[in-house]
Order: sequence, then structure tokens, then C-alpha cells
Amino acid sequence: MFVRKAIPALLAGSAGLCFAGTAQAAPQTTAGTVINNTASVTYTVNGTAQSSTSTTATFVVDRKVNFTVVTDQSGMTQVNLGQQNAVTTFKVTNLTNDAQDFLLDPDQQSISLGILPGTDNFDMLNLKAYVDSNGNGVYDAGVDTATYIDELAPDASVAVFLVGNVPTTPTAQLAFDSLHVIVAAGGATATKGTALIATDLNLANADNTVDIVFADDDSDGTLYLGDIARNGQGRAYSGYEIGTHNVALTVTKSARIVSDGVNLLFPKALPGATVEYCLLVNNATLLTAATGVNLSDVVPVKTTYVPGSISIGLPGVPGIACVLSGSAEDDDADDAAESDGFTASFDGSTKTVAAHLDSVNGASSIAVAFKVTIN
Amino acid sequence: MLRSLTIAAVALGAFPAVAAGPLEVTSRVMVEAKQRADDGSTRVALLPARRVVPGDRVVFVLAYRNVGRQPLSDIVLDNPVPAGLAYRAPAQGSAVPDVSIDGKTYGALAALRVPVAGGSTRAATAEDVTNVRWRIDRPIAAGTQGQFAFQAILR
Repeated sequence: MFVRKAIPALLAGSAGLCFAGTAQAAPQTTAGTVINNTASVTYTVNGTAQSSTSTTATFVVDRKVNFTVVTDQSGMTQVNLGQQNAVTTFKVTNLTNDAQDFLLDPDQQSISLGILPGTDNFDMLNLKAYVDSNGNGVYDAGVDTATYIDELAPDASVAVFLVGNVPTTPTAQLAFDSLHVIVAAGGATATKGTALIATDLNLANADNTVDIVFADDDSDGTLYLGDIARNGQGRAYSGYEIGTHNVALTVTKSARIVSDGVNLLFPKALPGATVEYCLLVNNATLLTAATGVNLSDVVPVKTTYVPGSISIGLPGVPGIACVLSGSAEDDDADDAAESDGFTASFDGSTKTVAAHLDSVNGASSIAVAFKVTIN
Repeated sequence: MLRSLTIAAVALGAFPAVAAGPLEVTSRVMVEAKQRADDGSTRVALLPARRVVPGDRVVFVLAYRNVGRQPLSDIVLDNPVPAGLAYRAPAQGSAVPDVSIDGKTYGALAALRVPVAGGSTRAATAEDVTNVRWRIDRPIAAGTQGQFAFQAILR
């Protein structure tokens, strides 16, 4: 029998006093903590006081693995076709009684039907999971690069982003995604732990070792099979929705006689007069840009294109100036050196003016002007 | 109560503890497990604590036995609640212990008050208990044994 030397009763009492101050709202006892229980005993034999202690009962606190994965955004992420680095945001909270690593699995395949409204009809491209390394709650490309959660402290949370590219398929409308999280061994900073395996509950506890007990909930409910209770895994669902498939794009063409060589003040449409044509492109849809807008306009018969006369930019006052502040475009089709997002060319054989606008923002207009002379 | 403790402390100084005295006290930690009997009834059995995680209930058992030849009297068993555990209640079948929130003053839980900031006090709860103590009023004869137990929750 193991008997400790006597513990003075008063010393035990003062230790207890310290403990009383932290009795409320204590965090979970850390896995691996050794709990000892020893009682002190006093008695008398024939009037002589004696004291002793009990044996010490010991157990090791086992690892109670618990964590949550939730979607941390309202509704689905609204995206446009071809959008790069579109983000859905999740939050992982460690409720285990020790620090743990968590493995992240971006998933688009194992999506139970009916969890989210709508029907999934496309997949995101290159979907990856990244940890919010700088803790600002926003995905920062090139900064949030960690692909697993390292040493998440008990009761701590961290944001995880699923980041992917939207394909350009015109029929794409809705893509569900889910963040699948697997608890892994902690204890080594900057080292990706291996997935934990629960200690077999039918095996006897090897004394003085830390058993692994999964206590995590079924994170998607019993109806859905994406996650089940006590499996050391969690899952949350979100999605990408292409809300706008078209924009209200209009083109208004107008003509203005710039000069006729005779009248300075009110030029007339005389042979040899110069006419400026104005193509006003308007995107009336709020918040959504029209990208890749191409315009082509055949120069009217009995007119001659004025070389180098194409100008593209913000529109001016109708009837006075077509382009207020724009850039002159060259006539050739080689636009490799162009960088302002607008290119144009004139094809002499088909007598066609072609213009390309990279983007026309929501609720805004771009004007394209070119000139001809009347034969 | 404080008086008797002081006496105990003095006694410690005067008579150093004997390594193996006539009162043998064994501490064990157990868990409650429901067991279904053949007749369909269930009963709660105590099994050795093998797997304990925060939130689990454990039972600390103190078994005593007079292994000497003399009767023993004035027996007091004082069990500080281990750090990381919160006292809950006496275990099923055990005598109700006196409890303490400071290791000095013992009594029924309902009678204890905890000082709070500002000089006032509030009623003590099981969470506040730091020590559990049993006194055996009558002398126990040689060879007599018995046990006490209390339930606690792992924080």
C-alpha cells in the first residue's frame, strides 16, 4: 500500500482556499492532466491522537474531442460568370479540452440534397480551403495561405474560406460547396497533425494514457449524411449563386456634323463635310458590369472613314461632344500595346469600325466616337 | 470546528504519523454505470474509472478498516476535492458528509456562505466546495470496516 507522509491538515485547507476563487466558469480540464485524490485521516487510539492519509486514487483526464463547423455568412455568395477567387466563409470552433489541428477538405461532391434551397447545377473551379491566418475575417489572397488549422486552442475559433473560380458556362446558376473538417493531432506547432482515431470504447483504458473520445455533434442533422455524431468530423454548407445573367445594355447612335468647310457656326451636310458618329453604350443594371462588349459599325456608303479618328471614353454632353475624356485609338487590329481596357480598329476592306470595351460598369456609360467625310 | 482542527495540527507535531497505522484507508475513483439485470431492471454499479473526460461524473470512494487490535475513536476523514473536479453530492448509499468552502469551516452545504466582493456573502453551491469530511461518532472495534463516497464532476 502506498502511503504518503502526513499532509498537515491546515496546509490542505489553505490550498483549498485558493481553489475556491477559481471555482466558477473554469475551462475544461486539459487532456493528460493527472487527477490524484488523497484523504487525510485523524483518529484516536486509547486517547492518543493519530493521523494518516489514505491511498491515492489516480486517473488521467482523457481527450474529449468536440468542435463545431458553421457557415459564417448570410445567404450564398453572389458571383458573376468568370469571377476569380470567389469566397464562401466558415467558422471552426475547438471545444476539445486541448489544442488540436484540423484538416480542411473543400467539397462540392458530397452535398446532400435539400439542405440549401435551389438546385446545384455547376461546380466551382479550383476550389481550395484557406485559414484566415491574419484573423481579420476576410480572405486575403497571398496572405491566408494555410491549408490546415494549426494548434487551435480550446474554445478558440478561426475563420476558414473556400475560394474558387466561377466557370463561364452560360447555364451556370448555383453551386453548393461544403467545408468538411477532420480533427487531427495537435501539440506540434507548424506541423500538420494526422487525423485522430477514437480509442476503441470496448478496450480497457491503458492507465496513465490519454484516450481519445469523440464527442462532436452531427453537424448537419440526422436527415443528412454529410456528417454523423461522434466521428471526429464536421461539415457546414454554403454556395455560390450567379444572380445576374444579363444586363440592360443599350447602344444609342447619333451623328453630328463637325465642319463643312463653308459655315463656321452651323456646318451643313455638304459634300466634303466631316461627320462624327457617336455610339453611346449604356449599362442600366445596377452593380453588375458588362464585360467584353464588342461594337461594330459599317461606315455608310458615300462616306469615307477619317483615319485615326476613333476615340473611346466617358461620354460628354449629347449633341455637343460625344466623348468627354477619352483616348484616341489607332486603326490597326494589333492591340497588344493597349492597356486602358478599350481597343478599336478600322477594316478598310469591309469599311467596318470595330471597338472592344473590356468592361462597362453597372449604371454607367461609355462612348465611342469616329469620324467620316461625305463624298 | 476550527478548534478541533487546531488540536489535530498540534497532535501532528507531537506525534509524527505512523506510516501504516491501525486505520487503513483506501481511496478509489469510480464511475457509475447502469447495468441491466436479467429481470429487466437496471441498477447503478460502480466500475473503475477508465475513461474520464470533462463533464463526466466520477465517484470517489474512501474505504476504511480497523486493522489494529484496539478500538479507534474520533475518526475524521477529510478529503480535499482534487483540482479540476467539482463536488456534486454524496454518492448513493453513503453518509452525507460535512463540506467546507475553505478547508476550515465545515457544515451542511446549505449553511455555508461565500464572501463576495463588497463585503457581503452569498449562499454556497456545490461548485464552491473544497473539502468533504466525514466524522465517525462512535468508536469502531478492531476488524470493523465501512466506506464513504461522494460524486464529483470533472470540469
